[in-house]
Amino acid sequence: MLKIDNLHAEIDGKEILKGLNLEVNAGEVHAIMGPNGAGKSTLGYVLGGRPGYEVTGGSVMFHPARHAGLVPASASPQAEALADKQTPAQGRGDDHGWVDLLELEPHERAALGLFLGFQYPVEIPGISNVQFLREALNSQRKARGEALLSGGEFLKLARAQADGLGMDQEMLKRPVNVGFSGGEKKRNEMVQMGIIAPRFAILDETDSGLDIDALKAVGEGINRIMRAPDKAVLLITHYERLLEIVAPDFVHVLAGGRIVRSGGIELARQLEAEGYAQVAA
Amino acid sequence: MVELLELPSRREEAWRWSRLDALPELARARHGQAGNAAQHFIGLGGPRLVFVDGVLDEDASELGRVSIGALELATDHPLGRQATGAGWALTLDRDQATDGIEIVHVASGGANHLPARITLAEDAVASVVETYVGEGWANRLTQIELARSARLMRSVRMLQGSGFVSIRDEATVGEGASLVSVFLGAGGMDCRIDDAITCNGAAAYAELGGALLTDGNQRQECAVSLRHDAVNGQSRQIWRAVAKDVSTASLAARVEVARGAQKTDGEQSLRGLLLDRTATINLKPELEIFADDVKCAHGATVGELDARALFYLASRGIAPARARGLLTRAFVADAIDRIGDEATRDAFSVDADAWLEKTL
Repeated sequence: MLKIDNLHAEIDGKEILKGLNLEVNAGEVHAIMGPNGAGKSTLGYVLGGRPGYEVTGGSVMFHPARHAGLVPASASPQAEALADKQTPAQGRGDDHGWVDLLELEPHERAALGLFLGFQYPVEIPGISNVQFLREALNSQRKARGEALLSGGEFLKLARAQADGLGMDQEMLKRPVNVGFSGGEKKRNEMVQMGIIAPRFAILDETDSGLDIDALKAVGEGINRIMRAPDKAVLLITHYERLLEIVAPDFVHVLAGGRIVRSGGIELARQLEAEGYAQVAA
Repeated sequence: MVELLELPSRREEAWRWSRLDALPELARARHGQAGNAAQHFIGLGGPRLVFVDGVLDEDASELGRVSIGALELATDHPLGRQATGAGWALTLDRDQATDGIEIVHVASGGANHLPARITLAEDAVASVVETYVGEGWANRLTQIELARSARLMRSVRMLQGSGFVSIRDEATVGEGASLVSVFLGAGGMDCRIDDAITCNGAAAYAELGGALLTDGNQRQECAVSLRHDAVNGQSRQIWRAVAKDVSTASLAARVEVARGAQKTDGEQSLRGLLLDRTATINLKPELEIFADDVKCAHGATVGELDARALFYLASRGIAPARARGLLTRAFVADAIDRIGDEATRDAFSVDADAWLEKTL
């Protein structure tokens, strides 16, 4: 589903990712752990397409699975434009259905099923959660040539997802993340993920700032929304606690801009017990 | 009157950001053919007035409790004092209320001047929506007097395609009375909103604000002052300016708290959003406080659209142009959302959206 090959990226001329390789298949959950400054968030932002994060080498190929198959080439101009961008690898012959992620704008990546859960979700005064999410979901559906959801259909979906994550319905009406506690913002990220129902989620320290109950709700939310044969997750975290709930298939240690060790959940437990310095050395 | 047109100089502090150069020529120019006014009524079910170049169009108007006649309004305001002669007046007696009054000012070029007076007796309630369309210079002087516990909601939208709209309001707000004025500049004209409000009764409430949206070479400004003369008064000023291209939007807002006006609670928020770095936004918040037991919060900021918010929206699938529109709309929302009546608020939102649609 995602193939990262020898990825190099820099911010303000400073190289942060130095030849990162990673392959994530559909149905898998991968956890990325690592010390501060290792490049974990940079990886998330590069995959999401945040301006200012410059890729200087390597490639990121994405296979959006079901969505790509659903895009009828002539459904809408947007869908057509996306479909055009989905075949950059044609010249290479065998990459059918694979997309060069780095060629796409952030909103196009989202329309293909990529979701970036933010470490620090942004506050947007003046736009309600409901308005924001309906706009987001319908923008994506439009880009994929799918029918738009009516206000009623959307509200039903939003309420179900808020319930599933223990978020007060009233918070859906409030401006996006404004006045939310750290934990509420993270829950809101999960509610958004539930509504958008992406194929591939990159969750950047979704567990930081959560109390034990919220951690459980978020962990179970990830399982409920993203644990499926045709979906995958890249979970960036500092702590092993969330991994006990989500149970990743693979755990990687990111240090110095590349992945230095990979293993199963036992690697996370070892990191928790011994620290990065010991394990990543 | 044309010969008497004496305009303030930009050397005067209160007019430093003004551009009045076009006014003398507009004052000499003739009126043209007026456009249709009917489409600008929101449909509030109350009196409807159409003024074409400052003159009542009787056929298109239903006066209700509004009267037309000569008004002698004393003012020393350099533009306001040009508005003499026949004007409109709303006088409500104790406990009277009227359905929403709608006034459409159609200008056809040249200049037009119109005085108005709103007098609400104890516990009277009124709302007035004014819309400026067309071209030319529309100049207004409105004097407002609210007696004890009277309430006035005033919403003014300036949608002229070109020219200049100058508005001078002078208001007194009595004990426990409430005045809320919201302005929207979403047309192609220049404008100046010049309000002087005095809360002279105890526990009076005044709110003054709005959004000025400029592009091209436009210049819009508000220069308003709100004075608390009595105890326990409350006031809010929420102004937003959005400027694109080489336009200029200026917000100068002052709060004065007199020596005896203890327990005044004033809030002032002036914010500007530059859509291009070639545009200009001037902000001038002023507090002048002579009482010692008051609360006056104020904030003034100018910035660009938040890059983090733009990326956040994009990461959820919202295309850049749409994201810019949503964030700009959100930026002006808190000023427009002060309008109490839903239909009026919606109409103003539609005008703001139309401006954004056209401009972004």
